[in-house]
Amino acid sequence: MTDPSTTTEGRPEPEKNPEAAGGRFTALAVDVSLIFLFVLMVEFLALCFSGRRGPTGLLVSPEEVLDLLHYGWLALASLALGIGWQALWDRLGASPGWALKHPPGEDVIPVPWTRTLSGWFVALLILLTFFTGWLITEVELVTFLTQFSKASDIVRGLVHPSSAVLHQGLILLVQTIFLAFMATAFAIPVAFCFSFFAARNLTRGSLGGRIVYNVVRAVMNFSRAVEPLVWALIFISWVGIGPFAGVMALWVHSVAALIKLYSEQVENIDNGPVEAIRATGANTLQVLRYGVVPQVIPPFLSFTIYRWDINVRMSTIIGFVGGGGIGYILKPRVDLGLWGEVGTLVLLIAATVWAMDILSAKIRERIV
Amino acid sequence: MSTERPREAVRIEALSKVFPNGVQALSDVSLSVAEGEFLVVIGLSGSGKSTLLRCINRLIDPTAGKILVFGHDVTAAHGAALRRLRTDMGMIFQQFNLVRRHSVLLNVLSGSLGRSSMLRSLLARFPAEEAERARACLERVGLGDRGRSRADALSGGQQQRVAIARALMQQPRLILADEPVASLDPALRHSVMRHIESLNRDEGMTVICTLHDVDLIQRYAHRLVALRDGKVVYEGGAEGFNAETFRAIYGEDAEPTAGLAQAPG
Repeated sequence: MTDPSTTTEGRPEPEKNPEAAGGRFTALAVDVSLIFLFVLMVEFLALCFSGRRGPTGLLVSPEEVLDLLHYGWLALASLALGIGWQALWDRLGASPGWALKHPPGEDVIPVPWTRTLSGWFVALLILLTFFTGWLITEVELVTFLTQFSKASDIVRGLVHPSSAVLHQGLILLVQTIFLAFMATAFAIPVAFCFSFFAARNLTRGSLGGRIVYNVVRAVMNFSRAVEPLVWALIFISWVGIGPFAGVMALWVHSVAALIKLYSEQVENIDNGPVEAIRATGANTLQVLRYGVVPQVIPPFLSFTIYRWDINVRMSTIIGFVGGGGIGYILKPRVDLGLWGEVGTLVLLIAATVWAMDILSAKIRERIV
Repeated sequence: MSTERPREAVRIEALSKVFPNGVQALSDVSLSVAEGEFLVVIGLSGSGKSTLLRCINRLIDPTAGKILVFGHDVTAAHGAALRRLRTDMGMIFQQFNLVRRHSVLLNVLSGSLGRSSMLRSLLARFPAEEAERARACLERVGLGDRGRSRADALSGGQQQRVAIARALMQQPRLILADEPVASLDPALRHSVMRHIESLNRDEGMTVICTLHDVDLIQRYAHRLVALRDGKVVYEGGAEGFNAETFRAIYGEDAEPTAGLAQAPG
């Protein structure tokens, strides 16, 4: 809606940008954080390779090295280095934080990273992160490559499935599929209703709408953040061990996940039909029914089937803690080391997941 | 059609709209549209034409000013009162804005939503006489046999005719048409414009229509209003629209179309 002449003339030069002062502070904060990470990892690696002994006289492990770093001094040093870089940026080139806040215009010829201090800094930072990660996660390549025989029992069992649990496994597989189905089915109406309140384009019109939006989003993100395993434990205490607890646990998780997926679809709709229906004098519910819902039904169906697929996979783990399904008989066999029977159950689960995946892909292909 | 002196259909007083991003889409626009008039609004893209139309039925809330439609203050109306006023204003869009997955007939029926009972409309169970009327509206735009098709199975020109049938179904007294033929093949433009003209001539509906093509403007407009940067820069008959006014509206660089007379002197 702007006149093109005002947009080209009205764009301020980067130096005169009134936001530059704020941008400078953000850039400094980013720089100091990056430099802090950099020096932390340098000291970490130095300590790890110095063969240093801890207070007990033993060689310290990477975990204990984390405890020995000079956090305070390094923070001060990074602050000084960050300020220094900002001050001398015309000699050293733009700092990473500055480059992040002020991406170069399209007309600027990009300088290869090997020619800038920023480029070298970031490259070294990535390299340092990799080596630090190697030490912290205690990667042991040699053991990985030479000690396979220790696991051969398990692998042999998995590829030689025993028929002892086949019958019980099949029955519980049916329970697993239905468990996932019921969790999805219960989740659909709840998620459908709340997804409209979680869509920004429908709620930004009024203060009440924005409050509802934020509340629904907060509850949704919380219930999504809590692992289904934890929900299962809650519902096992609530309704007792068994598949229903599993249904409830997956239900909570599915509602949150579906609200998120559904509401994203609602946010992506074409506003044209919504305007057209509003223009006829229709009320809010009629606008939803005629302007919004017809546009979101196909993606909703597609996501629901996808969710069922995910629920089948998740219900295996839910069964580990007593939430019903095939996981319920899998866990004790893992604990007892009955690898042949574990192999049978794992193959059953794999076959089901594979079949669900193909099925859901085919259906979604047809709907959208 | 009434025989008395034409009354005022729309009166716009000092209308201004500033969008939240600071763009001034309309500034101090005042207009009057007589009942039964076919008013064409012209101007460059971004001159405020669409905003003006959407302020009249309050799809957009104006920042300042007043709009009266058939004597009712639209700018002061809220909730149910606003929805009742909207039922008097049919709207036709550049992108047709049909519900693509619904049948053509249901799209036409949705024109009556503002007047139909809530529960029945949510269940999409419209009374038989409404369905009959919707079929008649489709017949009117020459699509009587396409009622069962899905809306997106139709061509662009046919979809716009469905949109006209939807507006007709609404039985409004005012039609707001926002670039109704801009996304259509040039060969189809007159066929759609003739249907809108028929709403004006045969049904006595007042029409406010935004257009780009000079030949369409000269063929259909009773009167012309031109916007530039959100201000009215020309108001008058289509016959006074010449090369000079064309440049005033579209800017000095614009090339007047061959069909326009040079300004005298």
